[in-house]
Amino acid sequence: MDKKPIEQCMEISTNPYDYLKKWKIDNNKKIISCFAMNIPEEIVFASGMIPVISWRSDEPVTMGHSHLATFNCGLTRSFIDDLVKEKLDFIDGIAVNRMCLQAQGLPFLLEQATKMPYIEYLSLPALYDDNVSYNYLIEEFKRFQTGLEKVSGNTVTDDTLNNAIDIYNKNRGLLSEIYELRRKNPGIIKGKEMLAVVHSSMIMAKDINNTLLEKVVEELNNRKQTLSKDERIKVITYGGLCQTVNSEILNIIEDLGMVIVDDDIFVGSKYFANPVEKNGNPYEALGNRYMKKTPPCPTKGDYRTDWTDYIIEMAEKNNAKGIISLMIKYCPPHMCYYPDIKNKLAAKGIPEILVEVEHEIISFEQVKTRLQTFVEILQGV
Amino acid sequence: MSKHKTNRLKTTKLIGPMVDKHWADLRTAKKRGEMVAWCSGPMFIFPYAMGMKCHFMAGYAAYAGGRGAADDLLKIAESEGDMLDTCSYHKAHMGMAMAIKKGIPVREDVLLPMPDLLITGRLCTEMSHYAEGLYRRMDINVIGIDTPPPLNESLVPGLEKYCEDQVRGSLIPRIEEICGKSFDYDRLIEIMAILKETCILRNECWEYFKKIPSPWTLWDYGVSIAPVFYMMGSPDAVPYYTQLRDELAERAEKGIGAIEPEKYRVYWDGWLPWGFLGQFSRKMTDLGIVPLVGRYPWEFFPHPETIDLNGDPIKEFVKQVYSNGGLAKQNLPNMSLPSIQKWVKEYSLDGVIMFSSKSCRMWNLGHPDFIKAIEKKHNIPGVVIEGDMVDSRMNSFGQIDTRLEALAEMMAARKK
Repeated sequence: MDKKPIEQCMEISTNPYDYLKKWKIDNNKKIISCFAMNIPEEIVFASGMIPVISWRSDEPVTMGHSHLATFNCGLTRSFIDDLVKEKLDFIDGIAVNRMCLQAQGLPFLLEQATKMPYIEYLSLPALYDDNVSYNYLIEEFKRFQTGLEKVSGNTVTDDTLNNAIDIYNKNRGLLSEIYELRRKNPGIIKGKEMLAVVHSSMIMAKDINNTLLEKVVEELNNRKQTLSKDERIKVITYGGLCQTVNSEILNIIEDLGMVIVDDDIFVGSKYFANPVEKNGNPYEALGNRYMKKTPPCPTKGDYRTDWTDYIIEMAEKNNAKGIISLMIKYCPPHMCYYPDIKNKLAAKGIPEILVEVEHEIISFEQVKTRLQTFVEILQGV
Repeated sequence: MSKHKTNRLKTTKLIGPMVDKHWADLRTAKKRGEMVAWCSGPMFIFPYAMGMKCHFMAGYAAYAGGRGAADDLLKIAESEGDMLDTCSYHKAHMGMAMAIKKGIPVREDVLLPMPDLLITGRLCTEMSHYAEGLYRRMDINVIGIDTPPPLNESLVPGLEKYCEDQVRGSLIPRIEEICGKSFDYDRLIEIMAILKETCILRNECWEYFKKIPSPWTLWDYGVSIAPVFYMMGSPDAVPYYTQLRDELAERAEKGIGAIEPEKYRVYWDGWLPWGFLGQFSRKMTDLGIVPLVGRYPWEFFPHPETIDLNGDPIKEFVKQVYSNGGLAKQNLPNMSLPSIQKWVKEYSLDGVIMFSSKSCRMWNLGHPDFIKAIEKKHNIPGVVIEGDMVDSRMNSFGQIDTRLEALAEMMAARKK
């Protein structure tokens, strides 16, 4: 019997290595790893290659530590570790966006640790209020395109790029539909499953993923028929920048009587927010999407848009009783923002708890105890 | 008792009062009716040209660390929700701002007036986070200038144009608006003239690092950086470096080394440990290790000779950051490794120390690979030392001793 669509997503998310290796043999296309947020994947797709978002393995980092210190984030360390261990040999190139200092230093490590034929480094700009950033952004996109054309041997035309935008927009629409189903039917999909569904979109060619996501929608609509009212406490999660959070944490949240009704995490709603609004010039259309200030992204230098307000609005829309901060250990953009989120939520009387997500989880029991306390607080609200 | 003797320079004793005066002037600026700017990155030259008093992010944190006040500021920041692993420079500012906002008592000499303007030069992304945090907490005017470091030379022209366009399109108009007057290009040129003269003298001083024994150490240069950076344009800068150069020339002529006997000459990568310069210095001196050169201290306008004072001053300054400069280039390991490889021969180095700050990820990515590459090319050893610029909790001096001793032993073995 064929596996159900969500189960397929889980399998791909759990073992992207085997999936992509086989996919590459079957499709004879090059794979470009995108590290990690805000890279215009459509340009890669339009060049006839497949962009995949760099992921964090579940293995402890070992050999990778010969290239970088332990006090760097799990994604950076794990990605290098996978490369050194030759687990990513099916990748044909890597595009890095300068989101943070770790991404800024990464190209050098890639050069030292691998023989990757194509390494691109994008300095996508901060969202400052001027046309200068926007004009520079468009130039960066075009530079990116030129490099990709060399690697792929294909020319990116307005037509191929517009086609890629359509495929990506469809993907965003399907993921939005799945999220809307969850909002309206809390508990219809487990946190771990939702993570896998979004992660599958980051790994698979988007046109193929679209077909799978259509089936996911169907599967969830069937589940809806049998879903009884979920009496668990509604919460939202936010944070989890650049990488998958450990799915066991999501299980703990739900096992303790909470239900994740919405999220603002990268392997979540942040990834597919905002379709590209086509306007005749695909580069400008992609640029307009990048320059959007919501959902707020603390790596984009936008000091005016308040992330906390965005999270509060999300919680209010969903009648969520509490907010769980999923902070990736050693993630400076989130670490620097966190005090303002914590204090503003506290001032407004909105319960919040911080869970630091480490690559090598030391104690799930400790996480469980903290979340148990949070549940008790929420029950008293 | 140490077998090695430290010969302190007379000139560097002048720097403490100069730096104290700079920060004291800043503390009292508002009382005199002067406007104040806070800056990260190199953009403070522009408010300086408008007569504003200026803070510089890393300079302030180093100053607070050097005065032994950083730990208190970090504690205040952490009591507000900051994390242990967050950049200690960022936290020092958040701690100071919260001390002002909430009236938490801290030493008066590390309190600054809240600025009329905050400029972030986003050379490091965390410089941007610091401005964002202060904006959220203190509602300050912010001007963001994005100055990404280039990965390679081919990216320099595009980034230089991006930087220049932001300065012309955003920075200058906003400063004019905030100050209520036209931008003072004449003063900008005057500051650049002083900077050029100071840095040319400083480069002459750098040449003395090549002497064996070296008449000064990287620590001596470290404490002398302010006049070539955040005290840019100060009338004290040229006399200071003139006196320093003359003292170094005299020492070189007499063969006087900063550390005697000088046993090992080393490269130091990353931040200087501002809060712990004395402790590190004593440990290295005890082993006869003399730090001489480093990419961070070397990033401050290494090619002043290229400043054309008759050229467009904005373009000329931006070139110092990009095409003619070290500031942006030295921040990425790809661009800095060739310089380090060149310095090994130029400065007759015996080893390398990679100072890896636990709360700052600006310099540490690449450290193990730097050591491997340098060892392969020059057969000199290196070690990574983990610590922090100003956070005392992150420096384990027992471990640091062991690493330095191991380095000394490796250098001794290779010298045989």
